[in-house]
Amino acid sequence: MRILIAEDEPVLASQLKKTLMSEGLTVDVAVDGAEAQYLGETEPYDVIILDLGLPIRDGLTVLKNLRSGGNDTSILILPARNDCADRVDGLDAGADDYLPKPFHMAALSARVRALIRRKAGKATPVFSKDNVTFDTRTNQVMVDGVSMNLTSQEIAVLSYLFHNSGRLVSRNELSDHIYQHEGDRESNTIAVFVNRLRKKLGSDLIETVRGRGYVIKATV
Amino acid sequence: MTSLRARAVTGGILWAVAIIVLWLTCVSSYLASQTQARFVEVLETRHAQAVVAVTNNSDAPDDLVLAIGDLVYQVPFSGQYWQVETDTGALISSPSLDGERLPRPLRRTEERLRSEFDGPNGEAVFAIGQWVPVRDDVMWYVQVASSLRSFEEDQVVLRNTLLTAFAFVSFIGVLGGLTQVAVVLQPLNKLRKDVSGRWEQEDGLEVQSYPIEVAPLVNDINTLMERNRDIMRRSRRPAADLAHAIKTPSAIMRNELDNLMMQGTDVQEAVGALDRLDAQLKRSFARMRADGTDATVGVATELDTALGRMERAFNALARNEGKSFNADYEEGLLVRMDQSDFEEVMGNLLDNALKWAETQVRLQAHETADGKIMITITDDGPGIPKDEIAKATQSGQRLDTSKPGTGLGLAIAHDLIHAYGGKILLSKDAELGGLAVHMRLPVGSAKRRD
Repeated sequence: MRILIAEDEPVLASQLKKTLMSEGLTVDVAVDGAEAQYLGETEPYDVIILDLGLPIRDGLTVLKNLRSGGNDTSILILPARNDCADRVDGLDAGADDYLPKPFHMAALSARVRALIRRKAGKATPVFSKDNVTFDTRTNQVMVDGVSMNLTSQEIAVLSYLFHNSGRLVSRNELSDHIYQHEGDRESNTIAVFVNRLRKKLGSDLIETVRGRGYVIKATV
Repeated sequence: MTSLRARAVTGGILWAVAIIVLWLTCVSSYLASQTQARFVEVLETRHAQAVVAVTNNSDAPDDLVLAIGDLVYQVPFSGQYWQVETDTGALISSPSLDGERLPRPLRRTEERLRSEFDGPNGEAVFAIGQWVPVRDDVMWYVQVASSLRSFEEDQVVLRNTLLTAFAFVSFIGVLGGLTQVAVVLQPLNKLRKDVSGRWEQEDGLEVQSYPIEVAPLVNDINTLMERNRDIMRRSRRPAADLAHAIKTPSAIMRNELDNLMMQGTDVQEAVGALDRLDAQLKRSFARMRADGTDATVGVATELDTALGRMERAFNALARNEGKSFNADYEEGLLVRMDQSDFEEVMGNLLDNALKWAETQVRLQAHETADGKIMITITDDGPGIPKDEIAKATQSGQRLDTSKPGTGLGLAIAHDLIHAYGGKILLSKDAELGGLAVHMRLPVGSAKRRD
């Protein structure tokens, strides 16, 4: 899952990035409104965290521009001022949720996870398929009730496939959602991660559709 | 407070009463003297007729009754009398005296004597008498008298007629005065309407459209309105900027403390202090905002716009949480509140309602019969126990800590609503079973649409 953080305060942006990456999410940071809009329009993010008080182009304008351009990525706004009008402006312009500053990181993570789940049409934070369960709150994967150790890349691939279960996901799409904007991308490594997941979780969980991609069939 | 209209009307009435009393006194005194003169003149004529009759019939005094044969002397106690007393003391008198006697002055003179005394039936009479020579050295006293009753009745009729006439004139005068007051005060009424309609506009009042006597006041009001807008702008901007400047560092500190806590460091006291700091800042900003409204006059928020925005925003949030939000409000409502303050109140209350609701939140707004806007927000959450309702609107009183929050939402809404002269009341909603927040807000005057 790939997140864009649009926050001009470098320390806060770095804290947000660190927290979200520790939860297995891929994070890009934009430090002003122009960059946020550019990345939002060109990269396939799952959630955009948008501070409304951005320099160069304020967050509300970025939000309106993204929505008017047909972008339906889930957007969580961080209202800038101390009044409700700010967040009502944001929600009215198409934001999906808001979190007033100052906030606890746990609250932010929970909202981001909820937005990802909602977008995927999943009601519960725990996915199950046959003998495998995946808890999106803790990134814990269990097979027959036994906890498995997965790398952050493996969790990123598994999480994306679970959130999009029932739908064929191409290697490029997977690559777009687990790598950062300026990170090294090699679609071959996706195949490596999938193979490792099969070894750890069983070969039936992820199915390969030759030449087209991967799919986890219907989950509970 | 004194009303200009009341002053003008009272002053006018006092002047009118003084003038009318003066005129009434003068006119009634003049007319009374005229009536009296006419009365005496008639009596003198009658006396002259009697004297002629006596002179002509001194040889046959018994014929006098026929000679002075006016009908008014024939009816007993008619009020009109004559009496002749001869030098020998014999009396010849009108039948109207019915044998009674009119008193005679002791003085013997040929001048006409006037006197007033009680007549034959006790009523006051006015008499004219004279010693008239009928032969050499023989004088008879010829006297005529008339009851004063008719004279007094004439006086009463005259006074009543005058009073009626002056009362009518006074009524017309008061009506005219009221009309004039209304015409004179019309520019001031226009000024009041213009001021309430334009307070939110950037342009001032048009000085040329007022009489020259009011123009300096209009200029002063324009200056005051501009100063008010300045105060509003200056008081709000620093508060908003300061809030923004403090919130981000606070978020950073909070995150660092969270990290330390996860690593096992005991930072509970620091987190508590930061919580208090954030709550105090939030409350202080809310207070600055509420205090700023003291300078706000004539503002208005269109609920179609403001509630429409809230409806769209909170519909989205409710959907996120799998709850429903329903808004039902009359069209065209206006409240006398600044829009951002109104949204602050509604945002805080709807946040609370959504946070505690099990499945649904409702918002209703309508204008009451006594001209207020009533807005009610209800939810199907646990509500607030009766004995804790008073605490709920006090600063930072968190009645239930099971859900995140500062406990300031209701207190901020309470402060802001009171700053605008409105009222807020909490109760248990009979239908949904949760909390019902009722707000009674003043109606705003329509903004100018040109």
